[in-house]
Amino acid sequence: MQTADFTALTPLLLLAAAIAAVMLQIALKRSHILTIVLTLAGLIAAMLGVLAVGDMPARQVTPLVTMDRLAFFFIGLILTATAATALLGCRYWEHAVGQCEEYYLLLLVAALGACVLAAAHHFAAFFIGLEILSISLFTLMAFARRRMASVEAGLKYLVLAGISSAFLLFGIALIYADVGSLAFPIWTARLQAAGETVSPLLLIGMGMTVIGVGFKLALVPFHMWTADIYQGAPAPTTAFVATVSKSAMVALLLRLFAPVDFTAEPALFWTLAILAFASMIVGNILALRQDSVKRILAYSSIAHMGYLLVAFLSGGPAAIAATVFYITAYTITVLGAFGVVTVLSRTDADADSMSDFQGLFFSHPWLAGVFMAMLLSLAGIPLTAGFIGKFYAITAGAQGGIWWLIITLVLTSAASLFYYLRIVVAMFSPPLENKTQPPAAGISYSGGLVLTVMTVLLIWVGSAPGPLIDLIGRITQ
Amino acid sequence: MNVPLTHLLTLAGGLFFIGIWCAVTRRNLIMVMLGIEIMLNAAALAFVGASLRWQQMEGQAVALFVLAIAAAEVSVGLALIICIYRRYRTLDPAKVQ
Amino acid sequence: MQSFWLIPALPLAGFLILALGGGRLSRGAAAVVGVGSVGLSAVLTFWAVFAFLAARPEQGAFTQNVWQWIAVADLTPAIAFHVDALTLTMMGVITGVGFFIHLYSVGYMAGETGYARFFAYMNLFVSAMLILVMADNLLLLYLGWEGVGLCSYLLIGFWYRDPANGYAARKAFVVTRAGDTAMAIGLFLLFDRLGTLHIQELMQRAVDTWPAASAMPTIAALLLLGGAVGKSAQLPLQTWLPDAMAGPTPVSALIHAATMVTAGVYLIARTHVLFELAPAALTAVAAIGALTLLLAGFSALCQTDIKRVLAYSTISQIGYMFLALGVGAWSAAIFHLVTHAFFKALLFLGAGAVIHALDGEQELSRMGGLRRELPLTFLTFLAGAASLAALPLITAGFYSKDMIIWEAYAAARGSLIWWFAALGGALLTVVYTFRMFFRVFEGPLQTRVHHAPGVSMTLPLVVLAVLSLTAGFVEMPRTLGGVHLFSTFMAGALPMVQLDPAREGHEWFFQVLSAGLVLLALLVSWRLFRRPIAHRAAGADSPLKAALQRWWLAGWGFDWLYDRLFVRPYIFLARINRNDVIDSGIDQIARGAQTLYRTASATQTGRLRTYAASMALGAALVIALAVWS
Repeated sequence: MQTADFTALTPLLLLAAAIAAVMLQIALKRSHILTIVLTLAGLIAAMLGVLAVGDMPARQVTPLVTMDRLAFFFIGLILTATAATALLGCRYWEHAVGQCEEYYLLLLVAALGACVLAAAHHFAAFFIGLEILSISLFTLMAFARRRMASVEAGLKYLVLAGISSAFLLFGIALIYADVGSLAFPIWTARLQAAGETVSPLLLIGMGMTVIGVGFKLALVPFHMWTADIYQGAPAPTTAFVATVSKSAMVALLLRLFAPVDFTAEPALFWTLAILAFASMIVGNILALRQDSVKRILAYSSIAHMGYLLVAFLSGGPAAIAATVFYITAYTITVLGAFGVVTVLSRTDADADSMSDFQGLFFSHPWLAGVFMAMLLSLAGIPLTAGFIGKFYAITAGAQGGIWWLIITLVLTSAASLFYYLRIVVAMFSPPLENKTQPPAAGISYSGGLVLTVMTVLLIWVGSAPGPLIDLIGRITQ
Repeated sequence: MNVPLTHLLTLAGGLFFIGIWCAVTRRNLIMVMLGIEIMLNAAALAFVGASLRWQQMEGQAVALFVLAIAAAEVSVGLALIICIYRRYRTLDPAKVQ
Repeated sequence: MQSFWLIPALPLAGFLILALGGGRLSRGAAAVVGVGSVGLSAVLTFWAVFAFLAARPEQGAFTQNVWQWIAVADLTPAIAFHVDALTLTMMGVITGVGFFIHLYSVGYMAGETGYARFFAYMNLFVSAMLILVMADNLLLLYLGWEGVGLCSYLLIGFWYRDPANGYAARKAFVVTRAGDTAMAIGLFLLFDRLGTLHIQELMQRAVDTWPAASAMPTIAALLLLGGAVGKSAQLPLQTWLPDAMAGPTPVSALIHAATMVTAGVYLIARTHVLFELAPAALTAVAAIGALTLLLAGFSALCQTDIKRVLAYSTISQIGYMFLALGVGAWSAAIFHLVTHAFFKALLFLGAGAVIHALDGEQELSRMGGLRRELPLTFLTFLAGAASLAALPLITAGFYSKDMIIWEAYAAARGSLIWWFAALGGALLTVVYTFRMFFRVFEGPLQTRVHHAPGVSMTLPLVVLAVLSLTAGFVEMPRTLGGVHLFSTFMAGALPMVQLDPAREGHEWFFQVLSAGLVLLALLVSWRLFRRPIAHRAAGADSPLKAALQRWWLAGWGFDWLYDRLFVRPYIFLARINRNDVIDSGIDQIARGAQTLYRTASATQTGRLRTYAASMALGAALVIALAVWS
């Protein structure tokens, strides 16, 4: 490896160093504050690393990863979301029974896995990144181990993720058996070139890869875990699962399938299109009359990944830009939404049922305002990031001519207003008489900071998307 | 000795099906974990077979990765299972909810 | 000029502060924010005017692109400002008169609950109105247009506890909406045909694309006219304005006299190139103006409520502006808009002072003899009334109205008919104005004066009175020395009026004639209305006269007609459709969605085995799909 390779890997190396530092710190002296400070310092250092080297030309480091602008963009996104999760976690774990410093360690490890996934150029890197992420996620989900729901969530995710990994791995093995290489470009080139005469091994392998991707993105029919895990896991973990693990997977989706011309490979197109279609419909239907806010957000995430696939499937450069924009806007929005849920939660019981949010406007008007902004963004109301994301998805889809998916997108997102507004209505209804106010205490500075940043970003991206669009345009060229 | 690829893949496929059958139908969490292990090992076997076909070491390296990762996964899984068992005194996933 | 955006942004900021933190602000702080933000805007506006006069920008306008939202094909919605002489004039009126009305409200609203809410709405209104006049594209203009409509609705219904006020607010909203819809269709048409909504670009393309007097510009202009008619309360959509008087009086002064109702005039002036391509539409504008000014003048004669007199008078005066627009006397229309803003705001504020003094009394018959009780109000009201009645030489109203009357005849598009209508309207104006004036201030005292207006109320009255008398000197006809400051200023934005050379020579004759008639009408109303009602012979009213009075009092029965034509059939249809046939289909969708929800939820058992099995099944499906598709 040359110096330039190390330079390109700077963010990942800094993150790994932060992991080592936090691990040593926990071994030597337990201190919540110190761990948080170290974690954030590591994340910020890695972000600065991204800024420092993010503009250099694409470089392939070992056969495993390539550090190009797309990778740096997604690494930046992942680091930001991780930092937000860590900040949200501070107050959440403060009163936890037992020790909580390892939570941050696991967060950092999971973030490292996600970063590897985003930069993967090779199936081995894909698998290792995915597993580093997943295994950390099991523990992050089960971290509130006095709460059985949390442990169960961890176990369920472990079993289902294990099955999906096995499918993915077997698929990769089949692809390897057919192609003779584990590097992405060789595979996609083969897929592209083979046209009509693709061997069944390759097709089965491709299908199994789609299963692995679909599980992480919670596409129907691999969505079953979503609601139970979103509800059971501690709120900061849910925010992390909903943002970091999804955006890393979207990065991988772009690397794997974006070079493929869908007209030449209808099998791939139809597989993904049907998953997208089913996700939009089933996700929105499941959310309709839910009474748990976390479950509503879970089902809505299924639908949103369907919308994202519509942008992706439209083909061409506009598709990639629209996909990247969508996942960025989605990450901002979901961090904000789960940020509100986290701020209202305590380790022993998360704010979850509709009645926890009833009358929120009267007890915490700002919090209610932020949550409303996030929900409107999820629903795609103008002047929020979510609107622009959906708008570009539809534009890209229209350019690609996939009208049936666009119509499904429009109709289902109209229906989705119903359940988003139900939460808004609950927040503005008079508070329940016999209900103790969720948290009497004020909002922590760290939580307030995250919410403020996300709200500002949400409105900024929604009202002046130009800079972000330009940035993404440069990345996806 | 030269084993054809198809034989190896058939064996791996059979193991994979056994694994998934085990993971879906067994009523004991340990057995479910075992099923997943079988699936992962089937994949590892397929890797070794493919690596044999192309006369490369890449596939065998991945098979080693798979072993390591499967071990990590099982260790976390067993820890969670113990946690569950302490609470519910059962390992039947249907009774845990 | 990089700070134009501050001018609408300041009142918007004021609105946000008052709306978000209004409950926590003290009354004094709310007043400071509410008045101060508009005051700062006014200062900036006048600074902009000086900058404009000092160095005329190229193409006669400052432009500023604040930000562009998104860009998709031809659609580039942007917040961009185009500030030329016309815009500056409107901005001066909005922020200047607006500031004094805000100041007046500090005293007028002092005893009311919802003080901060009032100033919040007023600030939002000023901001929206500024956006309306400063917009460089019709989309942004439409945003301001709807914004002022919303504020008008909110402020008419400000005292929402009385259902009648809520009704008036809804009526204003629904009636103007009819016009807004026409305007929106007009915008779609223009965008569809010409591919842009940027006003200057649009006008250029209209001239390049469409031959004069062809169908397309006529349709587009008529659709825009629909919007203008609704907003400016012209026939046939004038019925909302008299009811809009349910709002607090400063609202009537600001929104329903000085600014919002003149938005229609502004719109037509702004798109005058399009209207010049459509002579038929211009004739329609003139006809609507002439008819409206006469009908509203008659109605104003018979009103018994002081604010309704002023409301009908506003409709009538805007009719003058439409008439002027219709004959191509663009700058005369805007000139009258400005002087009207001064004297009508003054009259409303004076009326407000009277109503305030009499503890909410609005009936003319219960007023009287206030000359000695409220001397300052009397003097300023006299100045306003004189200006409205266009008393020759000494009032601003004379110069602007005289310009319209003369050009209604002498312009190339003018005719004797328009002149007769304008002159008749002028005579009516004198009569109804002084009828109201005498009823309020002469005769015996009817109701005791409760509280005299404070400084914050009298200062705006004095300033506006001075303006009502002197603002006319910037534009004087040739026969009186020929000062043309205003029309020269306007020349960069609006074309000069084209006079018919054959008629030009008779100017002095027409002016002396109209001035003489105005004085005669003043004498008549003095004879008729000087004495209080009770002193006149009781049986003098013939049945015909009484019927006519009732008819005019009800504004020519338009409400009655619309009630029969639209409201009742609609209610009838709604009653037939009580079970809501159309909705039941939609209910079915909702019910279907519920069923689907229940089915889908049944799969969410929480059981690991079900989930694992569904994953395996899904995997089989995906692989099958991949292999066989």
